[in-house]
Amino acid sequence: MKKNRMYVFGGLLLLAFAGFSFSAFTESMTPYVSYERARGEDRIVQVAGALEKGSDSYVDAQESLFFTLKDPKSSETLRVRYTGLKPANFADAISIVAIGRYDGQSKEFEAQKLLVKCPSKYQGAEVKTYS
Amino acid sequence: MDYFSHIYLPGALALWCAVLFGISSMWGYGVALVSGDQGSLTFGRRAYGFFAVSIVLASAVLALLLMMRDFRIEYVYQYSGMDLPVYYQFAAFWAGQKGSFMIWLFWGTLLGLLVRRTAGPSEPAVMGVYTLTLMGLLFILVRENPFVMLGKTPLDGVGLNPLLQDNWMVIHPPIMFIGYASAAIPFAFAMAALWRRQYDGWAARAFPWALGGFLVLGTAILMGGYWAYKTLGWGGYWGWDPVENASLIPWMFGTVLIHGLHMERSQGRYRRANYLLTFLMYISVLYGTFLTRSGVLADFSVHSFVDLGISGYLTLLLGGFFLLGLYLIITRWREIPTRPNEDPFLSRGTFMVMATITLLISTAVITAGTSAPLLTRFMKDPSQVGPSFYNKVNLPIAMLVAFLLALVPYLTWKGTAAREIARKLIGPFVFGVAAVAFSLFWQVHDVFHLAFIFLAALALATNLQKTVAKLRGAGGLRDAGGYLAHVGVGVILLGIIASSGYDVSTKVTLIQNQPREVDGMTLTFKRFIPRQGREKERMEIEVARAGGKPFMVHPKLFINDRTRQVMANPDIRTTPFQDLYVSPIDFDPGQPRLQLAKGESGKVGDMEVRFEGFNLQADGNAMAAMASGQPVTIGATLAVTKNGQTTALMPLYKLNPASGAVETPPATLPGGGAVFVSGINATNGAVQLELTGVANPAKLSVDVTRKPLIQLVWGGLYVILFGGILATVQRFRQMRKQESLGRI
Repeated sequence: MKKNRMYVFGGLLLLAFAGFSFSAFTESMTPYVSYERARGEDRIVQVAGALEKGSDSYVDAQESLFFTLKDPKSSETLRVRYTGLKPANFADAISIVAIGRYDGQSKEFEAQKLLVKCPSKYQGAEVKTYS
Repeated sequence: MDYFSHIYLPGALALWCAVLFGISSMWGYGVALVSGDQGSLTFGRRAYGFFAVSIVLASAVLALLLMMRDFRIEYVYQYSGMDLPVYYQFAAFWAGQKGSFMIWLFWGTLLGLLVRRTAGPSEPAVMGVYTLTLMGLLFILVRENPFVMLGKTPLDGVGLNPLLQDNWMVIHPPIMFIGYASAAIPFAFAMAALWRRQYDGWAARAFPWALGGFLVLGTAILMGGYWAYKTLGWGGYWGWDPVENASLIPWMFGTVLIHGLHMERSQGRYRRANYLLTFLMYISVLYGTFLTRSGVLADFSVHSFVDLGISGYLTLLLGGFFLLGLYLIITRWREIPTRPNEDPFLSRGTFMVMATITLLISTAVITAGTSAPLLTRFMKDPSQVGPSFYNKVNLPIAMLVAFLLALVPYLTWKGTAAREIARKLIGPFVFGVAAVAFSLFWQVHDVFHLAFIFLAALALATNLQKTVAKLRGAGGLRDAGGYLAHVGVGVILLGIIASSGYDVSTKVTLIQNQPREVDGMTLTFKRFIPRQGREKERMEIEVARAGGKPFMVHPKLFINDRTRQVMANPDIRTTPFQDLYVSPIDFDPGQPRLQLAKGESGKVGDMEVRFEGFNLQADGNAMAAMASGQPVTIGATLAVTKNGQTTALMPLYKLNPASGAVETPPATLPGGGAVFVSGINATNGAVQLELTGVANPAKLSVDVTRKPLIQLVWGGLYVILFGGILATVQRFRQMRKQESLGRI
């Protein structure tokens, strides 16, 4: 009988942990959304796009970086503000992923984290010249 | 046959021969398995030998092509270049997709020669399954052939990604691939046992292999962490990136497997579970490869993943081995002899079961997190989970594991009385309390963290006690491997909580020669040191601490010549109790150069310079002069504001079209210094100005981090790996002994 009780206890513990993991999972989940959706969401999301040339400026007083992301497909744009130092390689970025939330008042996407992808030579473009 | 003119035959031929010999070997082993025919067994063995020779040849040809920088070969063209030093040619070997499958297959093939010698009577079945796993890799290579040639001979290659031009790149990936290759070995033993319905003996033979795989994979993970921390400047040793997780998951299954095999060998428990564990370890290697190479994670990782058109193949490989393994396990499940669980609660068996279940849960959680982009693909938005998920979920798991680990040394298989355990725990308990008191002194107030520290210290102490007892015993060092590894676990847990929970990170911009207080230290950016030979451009920062001698750190920030990518390498000052980690972010050389379009203004020091436009009447009519080929003079009209006062200036740009000579007489700036026109952009009407004699100091932005007790992370891993070596040696000897006694 004692053994059965142990199994029940273990099962309950497992169940509780599964619930805990699931909530942690959904909590730290950051969905990839379009700019339009990002403007409507009140949670942390990810947006991606190309840096619009010449749109970036760094304001020393606020220690913030401002730039415009452009969706290569739809040509939509989104103004982004990132508080912190300008990431290295920012100017060469071919694509930027910004993780954060949209601020309805300043009409800017407040990025907490930036993933800057640079034209990497790793897995270079396929050069196929078959005749 | 156009195909043949686009393939480098010496290499491709070796691959095709390998296919032939591989199939022959499987055929020979297969016939030997079914009929027990000795001749077929010999045939299978010989064919495997030729298979191995072919793979070694193919790898040697690829290595040679890289050495000779033969850019006709597409792979050489993509990953090598004229300026790439010889030792990085090795790194180029596994820098790309094709080469990494090649090195994986290379190690797998060599390991196969050893597996053959340890398989004993089950050789035909084991080698049959094992060769099948190698054939899976070989077919990828035949399709994604590394010997494909370009239709032309480029003079230079694209070059190796500068991030990969690092000593660690030469050593880390090949070791990782030995680990991947070795995961197939316990799998082959287990599947062979299921196939033959011979459920005894395989565990003893697979045990040293499982331990070896655990060791190599662990070493590779340690190196990867070290690389990320020391040179790549990712700020830490672990980022829960999919690529990192892809190697961690098989390692965790491997950890559970070696404990399962231990239970099977000494208690006859876990006999069913071990088949599942070998299966999961191998499948997780294939799954990780699928996740990181098929492009499904392309948007979610800092590593660039591109779909290289082998997703279908990888899916097939994964699905094929998954179904094969599952089929064998399900059809044999009921036949596998088991021993019912009759252990009392306070026994080593029960605690090991609980610990393995806990580790499996952790592995499942990490797998789910890594697969998040795949799982959520079918929902509304594809999502990924951040490091916070892994950290949060693994914190209670690590605490439970530490607790179980702490008690295991005092438990016997038959069960131990609670009073007995309590008596033995007094010493370690005092040690744990001391660790907590010490942490409180260092401002650790989080209750969870304190509990974590207590349990980790407890596990460290009890296992250390047992290790010492074992050392004094008859078996000596040889018997102490397991407990020693557990001491390492305690050490590493303490290191992880201290270095990642209590690190202090500050991002600051340092102005040259202006000391700045950062986190109790005084940092002064001294100078920029230009490139000297192989030594890249470095920054010199002086760090002074109250009561300590000032010292210099030299983080590197340079531009790769080929890709124009900015590269940053941190510098780390290691002291026994903490690392000072200085990572450069941005460098502004303070060069007073401005590029301004009409109406734009720029700042240099305390001056604002506004470009009003070009003056074409500065010395006669410039347009007319240009039309007649006479010397042309253009003025740049500037408005310079300093201390609220604006001065109008006009530096000139004189061009003699006949001789091509350019003269740029400067204009004097208010408050000293001069400005001259260093260039004119005719297409967009912009001017390039250079200022001299203006105070505009260089600025360096750095991330300064103190990481307390990070030494324990590395130290703990070394202890775990050393314990693993002892255990591997011990289990190998036992296996040979069993074999000589005819028991397996």
